[in-house]
Amino acid sequence: MLFAGLDIGSTMTKAVIVDGNEKILAALVGPTGAEHRHLAFQVMDETVRKAGLSFEALDFIVATGYGRINVPFADKQVTEITCHARGIRAIFPGTRIIIDIGGQDSKGIKLNDAGTVANFVMNDKCAAGTGRFLEVISETLGIRLSDLALISAEAEGFVKISNMCTVFAEHEVTSRLAEGARIAEIVAGLHEAIAGRVVNMVRHLGIEKDVVVTGGPAKNAGLVKAIADKVGLPVWVPPEPFITGALGAALLGKGFAKRNATRNQTRRMESVTFFA
Amino acid sequence: MEQREQQGKTAAVKGTDMARKVRGMVKNIYQSAHEAKQAGGKVAYSMIMSQYDEILRAMDIVPLPTENFAGVCAAKRQMDRFLLQAEADGYSQSLCSYARIGLGFDSLRKEGSGIPDNSPDGGMAMPDMMLGSSSVCDPRYKWFQAAGRFLDVPRYNVDVVSPPIRANLEDTRDYYIRYQKEQFRGLIAFLEKQTGRKMSDDRLWESIRLCDEAWRLWYEIDRLRVAVPSPMPSQDHFSIMAAAHYYAGTQIAVDFYQGLYDEVKYKAANKNGVVPDEKYRILYGAGLPPWHTLWIFNYFESFGAVFVIENVYRAYDPVEVPSSVQDPVEYLAWRTFLRVTQWHEKASARSGNPYVEKLLEMAADYKTDGVVFHACRSCRASTLGQTHIKNLLGRYTDIPMMQLTSDMVDLRDYSESQWKAQIGAFIEALAARKRG
Repeated sequence: MLFAGLDIGSTMTKAVIVDGNEKILAALVGPTGAEHRHLAFQVMDETVRKAGLSFEALDFIVATGYGRINVPFADKQVTEITCHARGIRAIFPGTRIIIDIGGQDSKGIKLNDAGTVANFVMNDKCAAGTGRFLEVISETLGIRLSDLALISAEAEGFVKISNMCTVFAEHEVTSRLAEGARIAEIVAGLHEAIAGRVVNMVRHLGIEKDVVVTGGPAKNAGLVKAIADKVGLPVWVPPEPFITGALGAALLGKGFAKRNATRNQTRRMESVTFFA
Repeated sequence: MEQREQQGKTAAVKGTDMARKVRGMVKNIYQSAHEAKQAGGKVAYSMIMSQYDEILRAMDIVPLPTENFAGVCAAKRQMDRFLLQAEADGYSQSLCSYARIGLGFDSLRKEGSGIPDNSPDGGMAMPDMMLGSSSVCDPRYKWFQAAGRFLDVPRYNVDVVSPPIRANLEDTRDYYIRYQKEQFRGLIAFLEKQTGRKMSDDRLWESIRLCDEAWRLWYEIDRLRVAVPSPMPSQDHFSIMAAAHYYAGTQIAVDFYQGLYDEVKYKAANKNGVVPDEKYRILYGAGLPPWHTLWIFNYFESFGAVFVIENVYRAYDPVEVPSSVQDPVEYLAWRTFLRVTQWHEKASARSGNPYVEKLLEMAADYKTDGVVFHACRSCRASTLGQTHIKNLLGRYTDIPMMQLTSDMVDLRDYSESQWKAQIGAFIEALAARKRG
């Protein structure tokens, strides 16, 4: 049997297909956008092809992420909190705390003994502590997101970024540059600021090991190190942190199929747009 | 261009008929204040939970609950101009939004030499006095200090005191009661000066009797709500509390709760639930309600999740003041002490926190599957400590808990999409726990 998970995040759309043994057959990441219904179709279509399958062969499709409601071909919608919990637990069975840093929000998820969600917290209406914060500032600094970790590794200290509003932080970074601060230390300061904000939020749950950091920004080793320092425990990062939500969705799909959950009777693979 | 409201409003579920009468009662609060002014009566800005309601009734002073006015503005989504006026006057956005609405309203009133046009429910009449209170939080007297000076209106603040959790209540009781009585005596002297009339003890006793009876009935109504399915939702609670708080010490409140008691009893006996298929029972753990978005409770109900009981507004169960107390003011002081120490003993024996004890008892009695807290950005009193309470509660129960964040009236602190995302995850957590 085959199961697909589709995670439509605020900036990236991710798809994963697994077989009955929970082996990943294909995974794909593509940018989201205002037309995310159309993108959902594209990403799913490409993932199916990558796996050498046909869309009709999928036994159950679960959509997650903020755009999950707009996936016409999904059999079920599940929140990203539950999907991340399932996906991470499959990779790291001993996980108790998940720190998920997304494009425009961040979350802390606490798992119980059974591996299901016991409690969670989300950031408030602010981009600070999210991937978007890093994106904006890296643009200001004129460096690529993927270079942030390497650059921060050269830092001997960090420049304190006290403004947690993304817009004001951008001004602050510009001022620090004008004062002659080293870019490496500014980047380290950004990691420090995000880690402080996110870990402080997650402390509401009571932090206990094992702690896993996921979401796109988890690919940034500098940020992960800053988080680990604040948590005071080793933190784990999945091999591909972008896709853990989609993986969890696919695995939940397997569970739904096993319980004979109702499938979407009108499910068909077709492109839908908002701006027809 | 017409402003589009965010989507999400769902059809009303089965609330009580009595709750529908509250709108008229609330409107009448403001109307009766205007009428009293025209008839030469006295009107006082007041704060609920100040323990002085009966004194005002006994002296024919019309209470004007300023916090409630802010709630009315929010429920009608007419709060922005008052909030913005207060902020333009220099009040910080972190100040209590109830206070900002009241201060903004009074500022606009003074600026325009009259009640601001199209004020909700006719606006608040010009008060003859302002009665602050230390009960609950400091803006409840600092607000009136500022407004009183601004409008040149006399004001009086009552201190409402509560001993620490681990205090020896036997040792401290007399001291607290004596102090509380002095506070009420001071208020009465102030009111007698403002009205030019002496307070009648007989009138005060009658008002106390009516107030106690209304609160007893309200307690009995909440006890009926242990029924499965729930016969009355939290949306109704946040309406019907108006009778106990804004009509305290009147026959109106007693009659209202008697009618509501009969209705809820009938619904409970006939298993007439709020939703057809009650899947999850939720405890409203703490925090002022989101007056701007009360339909969010309907959103929970669309998943079969019903809020069955609340830890806000009906802050005390009935208490037994010793029959030896013959002075009505002393009775009020005794009742205050017994109310505020109601959970001390249990807290002292276990968690150290009276709210946690109360929540645990509610969770057990009402068979709740989860707890929801509401953190209000501008309400320190109801928000500070919420996380601690939530975590402490988690030591004694494994039911899922969630904390939503916005404000009681300031819509700028609210994000519908974020709330819906959180609620969705919370419902999944409830479902997962039920599945085992």
